[in-house]
Amino acid sequence: MTKTKKTTPAPRKQSQTSTHGHSHRQGDCVALLRQLSAYIDDELPSDVCTEIRRHMGACPNCEVFIASLQHTVTLCRHRPAPQLTSVDRKNMRRAILDAANAQ
Amino acid sequence: MLADFFSILLGLLDRPPAKPLNFASAMRAIAPKTPGQHPTRQDPDGFDRLYRDHVDLMYRYAYRLCGEAEAAKDLVQETFLNAYQGLKDFRGDARVSTWLYTIASRACIRMRRKRKGQPEHELSMEEFVPTSEGEFRLQIPIDGLSPEEALQNKELRKALDQAIEQLPPKYRMALVLRDMEGLSAKEVGAIMGVNERAVKSRLHRARLFVRRELSARGITHHDGHKHKGSHS
Repeated sequence: MTKTKKTTPAPRKQSQTSTHGHSHRQGDCVALLRQLSAYIDDELPSDVCTEIRRHMGACPNCEVFIASLQHTVTLCRHRPAPQLTSVDRKNMRRAILDAANAQ
Repeated sequence: MLADFFSILLGLLDRPPAKPLNFASAMRAIAPKTPGQHPTRQDPDGFDRLYRDHVDLMYRYAYRLCGEAEAAKDLVQETFLNAYQGLKDFRGDARVSTWLYTIASRACIRMRRKRKGQPEHELSMEEFVPTSEGEFRLQIPIDGLSPEEALQNKELRKALDQAIEQLPPKYRMALVLRDMEGLSAKEVGAIMGVNERAVKSRLHRARLFVRRELSARGITHHDGHKHKGSHS
């Protein structure tokens, strides 16, 4: 991952010494985090996707993070919305016509 | 030949003047025969069809933006009224649904400004960068469940709705249009008046915000145990 911005704050903790034992810098995780929506939406080139999958394989933190973001998107996509009743539809139509004709 | 022409012309002059258009007849003149079809001027049942074909779509969108029924109904009525007033500007370049989404989005922003007058809060990417392993590993407890099964959990549904409601409006709009209404980034950009890059940036921040809100709450699993989110 090479897209880390210069403005990104310095990581507080280097993962080279992390307890779960992966060997990259946390800056790599931050760079990945910036691209996760594009990854979920399948908008990235295949070589970038391969790189992300390789990173996730070596980084349990990012693997969990992307799973939680994917779950978030899935929940949003499946959240049903309440429906209007036929009475509501009829009343609203009447109100719209009345308001429009009053103008 | 010339006599025929004059007789036709005199016949036209003898006709009573056309009645002024009311809202319903104006909408009849422009509304589409099928959803997504451009308005035409020959459709006798236009308004009813336009309303019937799009009112549920607009209510669903309005409800997701407003988060409650009465405000959503107000927004739908405002949308159809504005559609009437903007008829002359509708060129048929976009689908009717896209046009209505645009009107509803603008009406929503106007109504919100009137009510609250609060400035738009910006979400910074930096606020979503985890600063600890625990933050990285926050989870949403839906493993092994279909989305429909997961959403039967009232606590999770409530947390999701509240997280979306807490989003600043322009981020909520991007999330609702893209992830809930299922529009493309290009369509969302056209509706919100921004380019695709801006849509994707807002969408990403909105998703990160909702993810953080959901995972930080600690939602009870279906099997009854409390999910703490963090592993650390």
